[in-house]
Amino acid sequence: MDPSLYLDRDTWVHRLDPRTKMFLLLGMFALPFVFLNPFYELAVLALVLFFGYLAESLVNLRRIWFILFMILLVTTILWSIIGSGRTPLFLFVEREALFYGLSTALRIVITVIAGMIFLSTTRNEEVAIGLVRLGIPYRFAFAVSTALRLVPTIVATGLTIGEAQRSRGLDLDSGNIIQRIRNHLPLLVPVFVTTVRSTNVFSMALESKGFGAGSGRTFFLHTAMGGRDALVLVAFVALLAGSIALRMAGYGGLEGFTR
Amino acid sequence: MKDVFTMWRHTQLVVLVALSAAIYAAVLIPFQGFTIVPGYISIRPANVFPVVFGLLFGPAGAWGAAIGNLIGDFFGTLSLGSVGGFVGNFFLALLPYKMWSAYFRSDENIETNVNSGKKLGVYIAVVVVASVVCAVIISWWVALLGFIPFQVTLPLIVFNNAIMAGVLGPVLLLALYPRVKRWGLLWTEIMEPEEVSASSSRLRGIGNVLVWVGGIGGAVVGLILSLTGASPMGASLGLALIPFLIVIVVGAFMLGGRDQVEVAQEMIAGEGEESEA
Repeated sequence: MDPSLYLDRDTWVHRLDPRTKMFLLLGMFALPFVFLNPFYELAVLALVLFFGYLAESLVNLRRIWFILFMILLVTTILWSIIGSGRTPLFLFVEREALFYGLSTALRIVITVIAGMIFLSTTRNEEVAIGLVRLGIPYRFAFAVSTALRLVPTIVATGLTIGEAQRSRGLDLDSGNIIQRIRNHLPLLVPVFVTTVRSTNVFSMALESKGFGAGSGRTFFLHTAMGGRDALVLVAFVALLAGSIALRMAGYGGLEGFTR
Repeated sequence: MKDVFTMWRHTQLVVLVALSAAIYAAVLIPFQGFTIVPGYISIRPANVFPVVFGLLFGPAGAWGAAIGNLIGDFFGTLSLGSVGGFVGNFFLALLPYKMWSAYFRSDENIETNVNSGKKLGVYIAVVVVASVVCAVIISWWVALLGFIPFQVTLPLIVFNNAIMAGVLGPVLLLALYPRVKRWGLLWTEIMEPEEVSASSSRLRGIGNVLVWVGGIGGAVVGLILSLTGASPMGASLGLALIPFLIVIVVGAFMLGGRDQVEVAQEMIAGEGEESEA
């Protein structure tokens, strides 16, 4: 089982510098917040999905569609109940509250899909080197990239341990909530011990290879921002600026909603 | 709080950050536990790890919990809300080890192995306050973004973190502490005293109180504002809770931690003399 979302494709999005993709991701986190109207949010969603189509990464939606659906449903219902507006719709729900709920749900979905596209087009090594190129200390980026690389291994270990314990009679599904929680101990202890006991050997291996011996580290993976990166960033900044201008001109808001 | 930065000098602690993060993320994924709010909150066994990591690995555990939660989001729900999860989980692991020694006299054993009634009581206390602080931070952030109302997320996150850490944590620490100590991986054995902030017993006591006030106060005020509709959400609630977040951070700064490292170093020196004799 590989929980990673990365898709090994050869698209122009994959070839962008990781820093460009990080800036685009931050921008996509900001763009949905410009508007409050769900119809405008739908337009932003369409844009994100189109970008995902160009990056050939929409296939990963199959893995997270249930989460997205539940976020849409729960968020819309929550704000429809908690919020209030001027126009009654049905029972105690007002149209403005429903629209606000939809808008908030779409904001969350847009940011999650943007994150999915980023992870689908950026390898773990690129994430690490992108962080370093942005000025994040190498040791921190190393810890992040190492953790990313180890997760599939530990997941497999955890599943194996789970199967082994179940074959010895471990039952995770019966009993009250406290019992069911305690039943997870035979899974957690072996996973922890199996992983952490390699710390000293891991540390010695790193230091024997000069880890942290000096500044000015070189990297096997070379990245550089080129013309395509600049074009994409300029285009996105123009999009964001245009959206803000549209909002300031009075479009994309939601009148009449209150908490 | 200089230990959260000086710890990066030690390769063992860097590795522990990576391993802690990987364990947390890896256990989050297959063991989903029980879903409370689909897509948002589940009771997950992995939620015991931040507190355990913090008590065993100190600042490395705090960074590991933060990065691990972020990586867990990498496998499905990475969004702007993940920023709140990063900071919240950082404090969920940071506060237990910072606050631990504030509850003990200088002549008491302050190892974090939860093998006595008093230590169990202290453990429960730090779990409760750390869970509340984590919940206040995350709920404040997602309310500021307008994603989910504060009054919905706060109790769920407190319950989620506290029940897992409270039920599983003591047993986990009893099982893991001797092993981690034997491997020489306790943060108090790796770090040097001068790398950790010093704090007098009085300052630790004040810092402890400030964290409680900031956490519980932030939770209560946030709930009142959001339940009564006095604060329409977003920026207003966000501004109202900032003083409590500042109090929490100030309290954390006052808690120090050097005393724990010095005690551990003395124990190691004592054990070394005994073995030589």
